[in-house]
Amino acid sequence: MSFIKELSKGIVKENPIFVIVLGMCPTLAVSTSVQNALGMGLAATFVLMCSNMIISLIKDITPEKIRIPIYIVVIAAFVTIVDMAMAAYVPDLHKSLGIFIPLIVVNCIILGRAEAFASKNNILNSLADAIGMGAGFTLSLTVVATIREILGNGTWLNIQVLPKTYQPMLVAILAPGAFITLGFLMALINLIKERR
Amino acid sequence: MGYLGEIFVMAMTAIFIQNFVLSRFLGLCPYLGVSKKLDSAMGMGLAVIFVMTLASAFTFLIQKYLLIALGLEYLQTIAFILTIAALVQFVEMVIQKNAPALYKSLGVYLPLITTNCAVLGVAILNTKTFRSDGITPYNFLDATLNGFFSGVGFTFVLLAMAGLRMRLEMAPLPKSMKGMPISLILAGIMALAFYGFMGFKI
Amino acid sequence: MKYYITLTLTLLIFCAVASGILAYVNSLTSPIIADRKAQEEIATRALLIPGAEFTEHKAKADTNFVYYVASKDSTVVGYTFIATGTGYAGPVKTMVGLDKDLKVITIKVTDQAETPGLGANCTKEDFPERFKGRAEAELMVDKDIGPTGIKSLTGATITTRAIANSIRGQILMLKADLDTAGETL
Repeated sequence: MSFIKELSKGIVKENPIFVIVLGMCPTLAVSTSVQNALGMGLAATFVLMCSNMIISLIKDITPEKIRIPIYIVVIAAFVTIVDMAMAAYVPDLHKSLGIFIPLIVVNCIILGRAEAFASKNNILNSLADAIGMGAGFTLSLTVVATIREILGNGTWLNIQVLPKTYQPMLVAILAPGAFITLGFLMALINLIKERR
Repeated sequence: MGYLGEIFVMAMTAIFIQNFVLSRFLGLCPYLGVSKKLDSAMGMGLAVIFVMTLASAFTFLIQKYLLIALGLEYLQTIAFILTIAALVQFVEMVIQKNAPALYKSLGVYLPLITTNCAVLGVAILNTKTFRSDGITPYNFLDATLNGFFSGVGFTFVLLAMAGLRMRLEMAPLPKSMKGMPISLILAGIMALAFYGFMGFKI
Repeated sequence: MKYYITLTLTLLIFCAVASGILAYVNSLTSPIIADRKAQEEIATRALLIPGAEFTEHKAKADTNFVYYVASKDSTVVGYTFIATGTGYAGPVKTMVGLDKDLKVITIKVTDQAETPGLGANCTKEDFPERFKGRAEAELMVDKDIGPTGIKSLTGATITTRAIANSIRGQILMLKADLDTAGETL
């Protein structure tokens, strides 16, 4: 029962990006294309799942005073593993995500979940929490990327969706477009919440 | 171009052309989280400049004399983040002991900086960027200065954002736009303005 | 005091375990990465100057600069090297093929993280056209020397300039090295 509950809360009710507003750097930086967004989302979800499980497992032997450094070591280890695995097996994606792969370490979502959830709950619920939060993160990232890629490049997942004659709205792909897209999306979500 | 010119290019690039927040998308959490009031933005900004400069210096030394020397480049992420965490802790203790007044104004922001991706970002970027000729890697002084200027760039936009947001509080806005959405759109317009610097040839 | 020693030891054990695991994963992945890179380079070189044989040369003055001499039937037909410039979002690596008069045959951008839709267009097929046949002095973007220069990518002068300048720098180094060698190989 609680497994399902922990799993679903990350997607809507406690969506890390739109509701809690965490992990903004990767959200804005890698949402230039859907492919990047999915890659980033999956990489972060993988790290989140592993770190949540390990941290939940070691919660009884972790001294209170140095828990943050220990969490950081655990997270950084998994991030490095993901980094190396991606460089070996999906080099193109690894190149286009660039510096944002090592920066998963400081993605506030992952440390935030470790501190707020995994350190207090059992391993199964921590895993559910990680999957839910990861899915919520990936989904939100993909939504932002969908809007930006279609408007800014006329494509979705590199498939031409708008007619070739469409003059791409470059600003959507550039940095300002990221802020503005996310701003309007959040306003839209607030509006839907209000109406309800 | 002499070394002074090189420094000038670096400063302009870090502050305006490739501003950490608005064009590199690093350090957004504090940018959106701590920009509600001008004085807290000032505190955060100074703390970030301080830590970024120190972190750039230390991580450069670690990269050169520990990781590369021992062939352990793959431990970069772990080594850098631990260095930064330790550094932040250390700075906090030193300031607390020797400058209680400064601690009072900066203290609360220091722990937040460990998870500020701008700090880890500048440390990693320092190992990957070159001088303007495109082949000379950064030396110790370059890296430290780049950390300092990046921190200044961060503080600059943080202060601008805080000033604007304080005025936004009074603005009559639709309810769904209040708070984060309008701040993001504002940040977008600021980023657009910064694009004006991009074409500059230096 | 004893408490702090325990804390330090705990943290140290965690770091040691993490490093151990990473060392293991690194030993698994690094040969794959290196192999893939080498394969890619060989493939790209063959694409730039088809049908030639390549021999590696290290520059005498600067050990960082490595170039390959392309030869067909033991006559030199050209040179290839990798030029690295700093683009808008980090380093841009370009493989360059030169003919024996050091004019660009063609180029290929192999490594970049530029903005999609702008700077990232440097990987598109029509981009190398802009560089073809140019000698060292002509490798400047139009924004710097006017209409005879290389046409910049729309909205991505920085990327184009980074590539052009990095190639120009490397050609100069290549020239210097060939001169000191006192022969055209």
